[in-house]
Amino acid sequence: MSALLKMKSIRAGYGEADILYDVSMEVAEGEIVAIVGPNGAGKSTAMKSIFGLLNIRSGTITVGGRDITGWSPNRIVNAGVCYVPQVQNIFGEMTVHENFEMGAFLRKGDFSASLDRVYALFPDLKAKRKTIAGSLSGGQRQMVAMGRALMLDPKVLLLDEPTAGLSPKYMEQIFKICRDVRAAGVAILLVEQHAKQALAFSDRGYVLAAGRNRHEGSGPALLADRHIAEMFLGG
Amino acid sequence: MDIFSFVNFFLLPGVVQGSIYALGAIGITLIYAIMRYGHFAHGDLATFGAFTALFVAGLLGLSPYAALPVAVVVAALLAIAIDWLFYAHLRRMPKIITTIASFGVALMLRSVVQIIWGVDTTSYTRGISRPENWFGIRVKPHELVTLLVVIGLVIALHLFLTRNKWGKAMRAMSDNPDLALLSGIDNNKVIAMTWVIAGGLCAASGFFLGLNTELRSLMGWNILLPTFAAAILGGVGRIEGAIVGGLVVGVTEELSVLVIPSEYKMLSSFAILLVVLLLRPTGLFRGKIL
Ligand SMILES: Nc1ncnc2c1ncn2[C@@H]1O[C@H](COP(=O)(O)OP(=O)(O)OP(=O)(O)O)[C@@H](O)[C@H]1O
Ligand SMILES: [Mg+2]
Repeated sequence: MSALLKMKSIRAGYGEADILYDVSMEVAEGEIVAIVGPNGAGKSTAMKSIFGLLNIRSGTITVGGRDITGWSPNRIVNAGVCYVPQVQNIFGEMTVHENFEMGAFLRKGDFSASLDRVYALFPDLKAKRKTIAGSLSGGQRQMVAMGRALMLDPKVLLLDEPTAGLSPKYMEQIFKICRDVRAAGVAILLVEQHAKQALAFSDRGYVLAAGRNRHEGSGPALLADRHIAEMFLGG
Repeated sequence: MDIFSFVNFFLLPGVVQGSIYALGAIGITLIYAIMRYGHFAHGDLATFGAFTALFVAGLLGLSPYAALPVAVVVAALLAIAIDWLFYAHLRRMPKIITTIASFGVALMLRSVVQIIWGVDTTSYTRGISRPENWFGIRVKPHELVTLLVVIGLVIALHLFLTRNKWGKAMRAMSDNPDLALLSGIDNNKVIAMTWVIAGGLCAASGFFLGLNTELRSLMGWNILLPTFAAAILGGVGRIEGAIVGGLVVGVTEELSVLVIPSEYKMLSSFAILLVVLLLRPTGLFRGKIL
């Protein structure tokens, strides 16, 4: 199993303060990997560090063996990693279609095949293509956010809490879409608050606490561990 | 007052003046939308554009209208150069620093204009132009040109922002700068494009101000207040707001002479600014808060 995306011993923080002390994770081709952990553990920070959005003090990040530590976001996107942030993850004043066009910004030439694929994943959005994205429901906005990130046909998709604040129905739908995306050959790294549901459908998981790796293993194995369940998964 | 004198003496001059404000206000609003600061050198850049058109027309023996495109290009390039020299390295600092820097740039630009072209009042054409009479509506040729060119520029800008890939990228960056970066949109290119558009429109506003009144080294500085009032009234960051805001401020100024002496016309934009900031700081079109 070759690692597609790999973070090795990352120490990073905002300004002067460190938030991540020693975080390592990897995602292999065709995997869905979940990051779980308490609020403030540094889950979002770990994702941002992959994207060079904060200061990395030490450690390396590689994509397919190539070192991308310290690259600018637009080079990282070009290297095949796309990211859906936890908040403010759509262009709220632009139409659904324009959101997807902006997702494809770096594409030269025709991107209608990717567009068709995104609309196939999110059929509900097809009828809303001219709607201003900010006026959609929370679940649909999350779909726009994911669609935008998929427009570059990434190798790895990073999703930060894609189901936060969504109804159980939408949550199931988002998880199903994750599986469809994986079936289309895109590996997924996701942060989830609904830790149990997320681990149940992920191949592997990492438990992060206070800026460090605490546990890792296959989804079912983490779920089966009573100690982890009590400490981190809400009993 | 009958309808014709209302249109001829108040509405039409107000709309002409307002469309000049609108050109400046669009630039102010775009710069704020992309870079998040108020740009106070805007008026003096307009002065520079107006005098550049005068200079080019004189040098090449052209009509001032033919010199306008040259002035637009020169001002656009100057705007990029100013950004590169004075604002670019301040980008990561608190925005107020750039705002103050733009004050400094305003003073520099004004001095350059005064050194090159002096402080005397001048104009593009000598003599008085006669208004055409259309069914009782009296329009001077340069007023007509002003309105047509402003409408043309606004339509062109609208098409650029809604149809062109880079125009959409500009809206994306205004909407959500972080996500624009994550989508691979090159912020520096968008910023350069913003300066080209704002600088070009600025020169056009100075040119039309000179055409409809006269050229003075303080002409641009003097329209800074109404221009900002227009941008804020419309809602900062909203192009359509800047246009509506410009027209409202222009017409209000003309109408204000019915109640206050005309030397105090400017007070009306001050009053509009005050009322908007107190009652609806996001402006008519729900813009950002300056
Ligand atoms: N932009 C920032 N500047 C400074 N500190 C930050 C910033 N963002 C987050 N932090 C701090 O970093 C720590 C980790 O935050 P992070 O958002 O990564 O946690 P999280 O695990 O994603 O939590 P949540 O489940 O609430 O999303 C927190 O203590 C937070 O206060
Ligand atoms: Mg988070």
